[in-house]
Amino acid sequence: MAIDMKVPAVGESITEVTVATWNKKEGDHVKLDEVLCELESDKATFELPAEAEGILHIVAKEGDVLPIGAVICSIEVGGVQVAVNVADAAPVAAAPVAAVAPVAPVVSVASEAAVSSVPAQVIEVKVPAVGESITEVTVSVWNKKSGDVVKLDEVICELESDKATFELPAEAAGVLEIVAEPGAVVAIGGILAKISVGASVVPAAVVVSDAVAAPVTSAVSVDASYAAGHPSPAAAKILDEKGVSAADVAGTGVGGRITKEDALAADKPASAPAVAVTPAVSAASASVASGSVASGSATVAPERTRREKMSSLRKTVARRLVAVKNETAMLTTFNEVDMKPVMDLRGKYKDKFKEKHGVGLGFMSFFTKAVCVALKEFPSVNAKIDGEEIVYHDYCDISIAVSAPKGLVVPVIRSAEFLSLAGIESEVARLAGKARENKLSLEEMSGGTFTITNGGVFGSMLSTPIINAPQVAILGMHNIVERAVVVDGQVVVRPIMYLALSYDHRIIDGRESVSFLVRVKQLLEDPARLLLDI
Amino acid sequence: MGLRAYSFSDAYMLEFDVVVIGSGPGGYVSAIRAAQLGFKTAIIEKYAVMGGTCLNVGCIPSKALLDSSEHYYNAVHHFQEHGIDVAKPKINLKQMIARKSGVVEKMNGGISYLMKKNKIMTFHGLGSFDSSKTVKVTKEDGSSEVLAAKNIIIATGSKPTILPFIPVDKKRIITSTEALKMTEIPKHLIVIGAGVIGAELGSVYARLGAKVSFVEFAEGMIPTMDKTMGKELQKSIAKLGAEFYFSHKVTSAAVKGAEVTVKAQDAAGKEVEIKGDYCLVCIGRRPYTDGLNLAAAGLVADERGRIAVDERTLQTSVPGIYAIGDVVRGAMLAHKAEEEGVFVAEVIAGQKPHINYNLIPGVVYTWPEVASVGKTEQELKTAGIAYKEGSFPFKALGRAVASMDVDGLVKVLADATTDEILGVHMIGARAADMIAEAVVAMEYRASAEDVARMSHAHPTYTEAMKEACLAATSKRALHA
Repeated sequence: MAIDMKVPAVGESITEVTVATWNKKEGDHVKLDEVLCELESDKATFELPAEAEGILHIVAKEGDVLPIGAVICSIEVGGVQVAVNVADAAPVAAAPVAAVAPVAPVVSVASEAAVSSVPAQVIEVKVPAVGESITEVTVSVWNKKSGDVVKLDEVICELESDKATFELPAEAAGVLEIVAEPGAVVAIGGILAKISVGASVVPAAVVVSDAVAAPVTSAVSVDASYAAGHPSPAAAKILDEKGVSAADVAGTGVGGRITKEDALAADKPASAPAVAVTPAVSAASASVASGSVASGSATVAPERTRREKMSSLRKTVARRLVAVKNETAMLTTFNEVDMKPVMDLRGKYKDKFKEKHGVGLGFMSFFTKAVCVALKEFPSVNAKIDGEEIVYHDYCDISIAVSAPKGLVVPVIRSAEFLSLAGIESEVARLAGKARENKLSLEEMSGGTFTITNGGVFGSMLSTPIINAPQVAILGMHNIVERAVVVDGQVVVRPIMYLALSYDHRIIDGRESVSFLVRVKQLLEDPARLLLDI
Repeated sequence: MGLRAYSFSDAYMLEFDVVVIGSGPGGYVSAIRAAQLGFKTAIIEKYAVMGGTCLNVGCIPSKALLDSSEHYYNAVHHFQEHGIDVAKPKINLKQMIARKSGVVEKMNGGISYLMKKNKIMTFHGLGSFDSSKTVKVTKEDGSSEVLAAKNIIIATGSKPTILPFIPVDKKRIITSTEALKMTEIPKHLIVIGAGVIGAELGSVYARLGAKVSFVEFAEGMIPTMDKTMGKELQKSIAKLGAEFYFSHKVTSAAVKGAEVTVKAQDAAGKEVEIKGDYCLVCIGRRPYTDGLNLAAAGLVADERGRIAVDERTLQTSVPGIYAIGDVVRGAMLAHKAEEEGVFVAEVIAGQKPHINYNLIPGVVYTWPEVASVGKTEQELKTAGIAYKEGSFPFKALGRAVASMDVDGLVKVLADATTDEILGVHMIGARAADMIAEAVVAMEYRASAEDVARMSHAHPTYTEAMKEACLAATSKRALHA
C-alpha cells in the first residue's frame, strides 16, 4: 500500500509551497516522523515529516511549486506492498514500476496498485485565499471551456473581488471541467472547476501504465503511448536551450508527445520573465559564452545584466506591496521625538536591567509599550477592514519588522499590552533570533494588528513605510540624531528621532492618526507616563 | 617625423563573424542562416559559379538529364499506348545537355541572388587556411586576399573516388562529372559501382538507348539500402536491357582507341572481361580538402580524408572552426549538409539545434525513384529488434495504374510491440517526394496505425504509404 503525502495546509493565505530540499532520496527507507524534505512558502520554511514508515517515492522535485493538497511523495508501506504484488517481489523496489514490471501474472492487481500511487486524478480548483479581508469572489470570465486541455499555470479564469480582479492559474495540467459559471459568487475555498489529470497528460502515469500494459497486451492500440514525453524537433531544440529535460515536461500532444508549445511553456513556473528567447538575445549571450563573436554586429552586445529567478517570498512581497498601494488610501504623518528621557532612563538602568532580566534594555520595548497605550486610545489604528465591516482588535499583537537572510519577515509580539518592558525585550530577542535562522513558524508571523518597523538601524532619517495589510497602520522608527532644538526658549542639543505613521485613510481620520502619533511622542518623551498610565 | 606608408593589404583586412569555405548546399545554406542570425558573413567559392557539386555536377544536372531521358523513354515506349502517335522520337543530345546547363545556370544565379539578399560577401577563389583565424582567398588571376574570421565553417564537400588501377582519363573512363556532359550516347556503358550515382546515371543512358552493364562488388544494387529496394530497382532497370555483374571485383580498366576493357573477378575468382565504349566509375566519393591547408589551422584530416568534429557542435578540434557536409562523417547527401549548415550557424549563435541522423532520408533518382528513411530490415535484424513489416505494391494503386507507373512498392517496418514506425522504404513514381511523409511521421514517433488513420487524398501515390501502414499495423491493407 502506498500512502500519498500531500502538501499540508500550512496557514492562511498560503496557496502554494516550493520544495526546497529533499533530505531523503528516491527509494530510501524512511521512518515515521523522520523529516523528508523542507518546503518553502512565501512566509516561512517548514519541514515535512514522514506520515508512515516505508519506501519513499518522490513525486515533486526540488524547486517544484505545489499547491496545497498536491502530492509531494508517496511512501510504500513495505509489508503490504509485497503482499499485494507477489511473494518474492523485491522489498526495496526503487519505483512502483520496477516492482510491478516482472510480475506478469498479477498485472491487473499490480497495475492498480501502481496507478493508485500516482497523484490524485481529479484536482479541485478552489478559490484561493486572496487576502485576509476578502471572503468571496465573483467569476468574471473563463478563458477556457469545459473539456479544454489546460497546462500548469495557464490562466484559466478571471476572478473579481471587491478590491481587485485577479487571474487564476491552473494548479495542474489536465482536462478542465467548469463548476462555477461566469457571474457566480464563490466563497474563498469554494470549488471553481475540476481538472482531470488524464493518463495522456501526466507522464508519470503514462510511464507506469505503459510499462505494465506492454507485456500483457499484444493489441496495438495502447492508449498510453510509448512516445509520451517525446519532444517534436522544434520542442527538443527549445528544451535544450532552456536546459529543461524532456522528462520534466508534461506533453500535451498526441500520446503525451511534447509539442513546441509545451516546450515554450516548459520553464514558466520556474522563471516567468525569461521567456524572451529571441534569436538576437541568444546570439548575444552565446557570443559572450564562447567569446567568439563580438564587435560590429548589432546583435552582439556584452552582457551587462543578470537574470535571476524571483524567490517565492520576493514575488509575494512584491505582489502584496503593490496591492496595498493600489487598494488602500495610504498616507503618512510625521513627528519627532526627543529621545533624551528614554536614553537617560536606559543609561541609568541598562546594566541592572540586564542583570535581572537577562536581556538588554533597548528602545523597542519603549516604543512597543507606547504604541500599545496609544492603540488603546485610538482603536481605529488597531483595526482592519473586512468587506463592509471594520474589525476592531481589543488586543495589541504588534508585528516587528526584522531583516532576515531571505528577506524581511514580520514576527508578532502577542498581547504586548500585558507584557512588561522586560517581557517585550525578551520576546523581541527570541523572535529576531529565530528570524535570523529562518526558523520562524507561520503562526509566529501571522495575525499582527499593528506593525513597527525600524529603518533607523540602517541609518534612515525619514521614510514612509507601507502598511502591512490587512493592518491599517504602521509606525516607522528612524535613526537618532543629535539636533539643535529649542527647549524652554533655549537652543539645546537633543537626540531626536523622526517618527512616521503610515495609515489607511479609509478608516483612520487625520485627527486620530495625528493624535496617535502625538501620543506616542508624548509617552516616549516622558516615560513615567507609561508607568502611571497617563 | 615621417609618416609610415601603409600598403593596402597591411591596413585593410576584412573581418567577419563567419567565413564559410565552399558554396555547396551545406556552405551556402550555412551562410544564409548565419546572416539571418545577424552575423557578418562571407562565403568563399573556388569556382566561378556558386552551388558546389550538388548544383553544378551532381543532384540538379543529373535530375535534369534523368527527366529528359524519362521523357524520351516515354515517347518511345508509352505514348502509343496513351493514344499519342508521334514520329519516331530522336535524341538531340546537344540540346539535352544545353537544357541541363540552362537549369544549372539559373540555379547558380539563384544562389548569387540569395547571397546578395542576405548581405553575404562572396569571394571567388581557392580558400585556404592562413591561420586558425584567417583564411586566404587565392583568385584565378593569382592575387590573394586574407579574411579574418571569428568562426570558420569548412564546407568543401567531396570528389569522386579514384582507384589507381582504374585510370580515369575523363574521355572514355569517366566520372559522374563527365557523364553529365557527354557528346554522344554510349553504345555500351560499363558502370563500375551500382550504388546511388551509378544507378542514376546508368539508368539515364540505358533509357537513352545505351546498353549498360553494372559491375558491382556487393551482391546487388544500391547495397546500403534495404535489400528489397535493390531487388526491385534491379528488376526495373533490367527492363531497360541492363546487365548486372554483382559480387564482381574490378581488377583493371584499360582504354584502347574507342574501346574500354574492364576486367573483374567474380565471386568464384574467375576472371570476366567486359568491353564497351565508355566506362563510368562511380565507386564513391571522398572528402575534399585539397589546397585547404588544414595544417595552418592546426587541423588534420583522418585516414579517410574526413575532418573530425564534435558530435554536439560540429566544431573541429580547433575552437571556432566547424566542418559540415561531405567533409565530415555521415551520409554524403546534400540535404544532410544543409541540416548541418543550419545547425552550425545556430550553434555559433548559442542555440542548441538538433539533427536526427537516423531520419535523414536517402533517395535514388532513378525512375522509379527509391527513397528510404530509418532502419532497414537488415539493421533491425542485426539489432535484434522485433518488428512487423507491411508492404503495398504500386500495381494495386489506382493512380499508378492510371499513370502507367506500376513498378514499385512501399514497405513499412514497425515495432512489433508499440507499432512505432522504425523504417520506411519505397520504390516507385515520386517516392523521393513521398518519403517526406515518413520523415514527419517518424520525427513525431508515429505508429503505423497513426499514419494509417490519417486521410490520404485519392487517387494519389501517397495512398501506398497509408496502405503499407495498414498492412504493417495488422495486415489489413484495404486494396491488397
